[in-house]
Amino acid sequence: MTVPLTTRRRRVSLFPYLLILPTLVFVVVFTAWPTLRALYMSFFRQRLNIARFREPSFIGLENYVDLFTSNDFQQVLVNTVLYVIGTVPISIVLAFSFALLVNRQLRGIGLIRLAFFYPTVLPMVSAATIWMFFFTPNYGLFNSALRFLGYNGPQNWTANPDLALLSLIVVATWKNAGFYMIFYLAGLQNLPDNVFEAAALDGASWWQQLWHVTLPLLRRTTLFISTVAFIDAFRTVDHIFVLTSGGPSNGSTVLLFWLWQMRFEFLDVGRASAITIILIAFLLIFTVTNFNLSADQEGAHAA
Amino acid sequence: MHTKSFASLVLFIAFSLLIAACAVPQTGAPAQSEQPAEPAPAEPVSIEVYYPVAVDAPIAKILEGYVADFEAENPDISVKPVFSGGYTDVKTTIQTTVEGGGTPPALAVMLATDLYDLINGDYIIPLDDYVSGMSDGQAYLDSFVPAFLANSRFDSQIWSIPFQRSDVVLYYNKDLFAEAGLEAPNSWAAWGESGQKLTQRDGDEVTRWGIEYPSGWPYWLFQPLAIGSGQNIVGDKSTEIYFDYPDVIEAVQFYNDLSQEYGAMPAGVQGIWGQAPSDFASGQAAMIVHSSGSLAGILNQADFEVGVMAVPGQEEGTYATVPGGGNLYVLKGVSQAKQDAAWKFIQFLTQPEYVADFSTQTGYIASREPAYETQTMQDYITEVSQYADMRDAVQYAGAELSVQNLGEVRNIFHNYLQAAFNGEMSPEEAMAQAQKESEEALEPFK
Repeated sequence: MTVPLTTRRRRVSLFPYLLILPTLVFVVVFTAWPTLRALYMSFFRQRLNIARFREPSFIGLENYVDLFTSNDFQQVLVNTVLYVIGTVPISIVLAFSFALLVNRQLRGIGLIRLAFFYPTVLPMVSAATIWMFFFTPNYGLFNSALRFLGYNGPQNWTANPDLALLSLIVVATWKNAGFYMIFYLAGLQNLPDNVFEAAALDGASWWQQLWHVTLPLLRRTTLFISTVAFIDAFRTVDHIFVLTSGGPSNGSTVLLFWLWQMRFEFLDVGRASAITIILIAFLLIFTVTNFNLSADQEGAHAA
Repeated sequence: MHTKSFASLVLFIAFSLLIAACAVPQTGAPAQSEQPAEPAPAEPVSIEVYYPVAVDAPIAKILEGYVADFEAENPDISVKPVFSGGYTDVKTTIQTTVEGGGTPPALAVMLATDLYDLINGDYIIPLDDYVSGMSDGQAYLDSFVPAFLANSRFDSQIWSIPFQRSDVVLYYNKDLFAEAGLEAPNSWAAWGESGQKLTQRDGDEVTRWGIEYPSGWPYWLFQPLAIGSGQNIVGDKSTEIYFDYPDVIEAVQFYNDLSQEYGAMPAGVQGIWGQAPSDFASGQAAMIVHSSGSLAGILNQADFEVGVMAVPGQEEGTYATVPGGGNLYVLKGVSQAKQDAAWKFIQFLTQPEYVADFSTQTGYIASREPAYETQTMQDYITEVSQYADMRDAVQYAGAELSVQNLGEVRNIFHNYLQAAFNGEMSPEEAMAQAQKESEEALEPFK
């Protein structure tokens, strides 16, 4: 009697691990291992274009010190923060507004939803190429529109030190808002009707319903979207290659683009590894804070 | 029983994945030890050629035609051309392949200016033994247009063979020049003045620019200004740069003058590389500075007579240009037999007939003198007279920026050049800073 029990117990405890093993293998091989390796390499000097530095040599925190004291890196950090602040909140607000707008039964609503969602389907490179024509000096869409309104436009968008980063933000926001809209739309359609009926009976205005009922109920969706949007802001660089090449004067270079340059143009493996670690740290800090804040709020709400 | 077989299946899949994943880094070691060995000339060899497509021409189709011809002549060699994106992608693919422990292709087309990075990274082999093994090796080298061979030499060795080469030229609208009674510009002053005269305004709005000068990624198109001013930004040694020389600063100032003094050009950095040729062809710009590679596209679109010339220099009657484009490199880490086959294919591709054919089909400038004597080329020049102008411009060429640590130095130069163009710094200040930071970046290479 005892023997089969232990076998069963053992099988039960082993089986779930077997099931997650393939995923685990992928996570370890493609995420954990490269991260650890980058962390390790970030303490070494390795420069592939200098014969005597081609073999890694331990230099402690020098890569980090060099980075944080370099003007270029400070500018890249500022650009990255501006880019994240510019893209994440605005695309979330837009996504939510779009979702509210298309969450109703109207003739042709499918087309409108498609129109909002369409940019998501485009590859970033195509999207950026389309926008390149909008930003074109002289006869580009923006300058033509401004001229029609009587202004003689800024003319130069993507090569203008004040507007290059903004141009990238506009493209990314346009591209992503429709994608996030889908999640809000799904969330909205799953909300229970009775809550809104109760709110309406209590005489809550449309705005009060939105602020006190809809938004709190969609908190999990917002958490999900903000995490995805934040990660995406760090992850997407395709449009930079098409529109600005990081210029003018590094004015639109963000962290991942700088990492690419450091690794494949400057051939500096050590510093590129250090940037990787800084990038991962950013993402970890945000994601954990975001989850904790959200969990706290949820707790507060329940109490 | 059922559960057990399922579990073992999962286990099996997981382990095969694990093994497959581990196998990638483990191939690292053998790739290097593979190098010498196996001479075997009779054995059939197959090689890969990585190439980029950087112009508006069916490069893939053209190359495949050449490969077929080559394989017919050399039945024991098979060549597989692999399209690998742009120049950067080819280099990145090869770097990551080698660093990941894989085997690179035997032959690749990469930027002529990548020379030092490729040598320092130990990716390529010198070709001197192959050249001296030819019956007329020196004559073969001497037959290349000197400007195109300039980025092939280091440490008195030859590391690459010119293949798809171009230069910077000034395109000008001959019809507009004739209408305004203007001659082709032969100095900075004449250039600025003709640009000024050909700029058309409707109130505040510019309906036609005299000059468009792309500067989104500026060093290449800027170099003719520096050379025309009397001082190239790069010297003979691989760590020599001259960003802060007075003539270079004057060249930066002249770029700014074209908009500020002459009003002939949009102000600041112009991120219009892709747009400039169609602006020119559609008459929205009377002149553009651009790659000779854009000639075919412009001729297809333009309904006026297109003029092509070297970029005017500061003094009357002086001109300047700078070469660009890609060379053929033989890679390390493949067997000797494959390297031999790659060299054979290089020799095949650089025969005058093939150089001429490639040039006329793609718009690249033929890099070997004998190609110009072929019938193909003579016919083509009669048909497209601008081609001869494009080629003549090469005589005014200075060396393209190619130094140690090129990526970093170029990035520094771009930053400060654009800061000067955008008026964020004075040309003196910007170039002094560019020189200082570049010297620091070059310090470990001296």
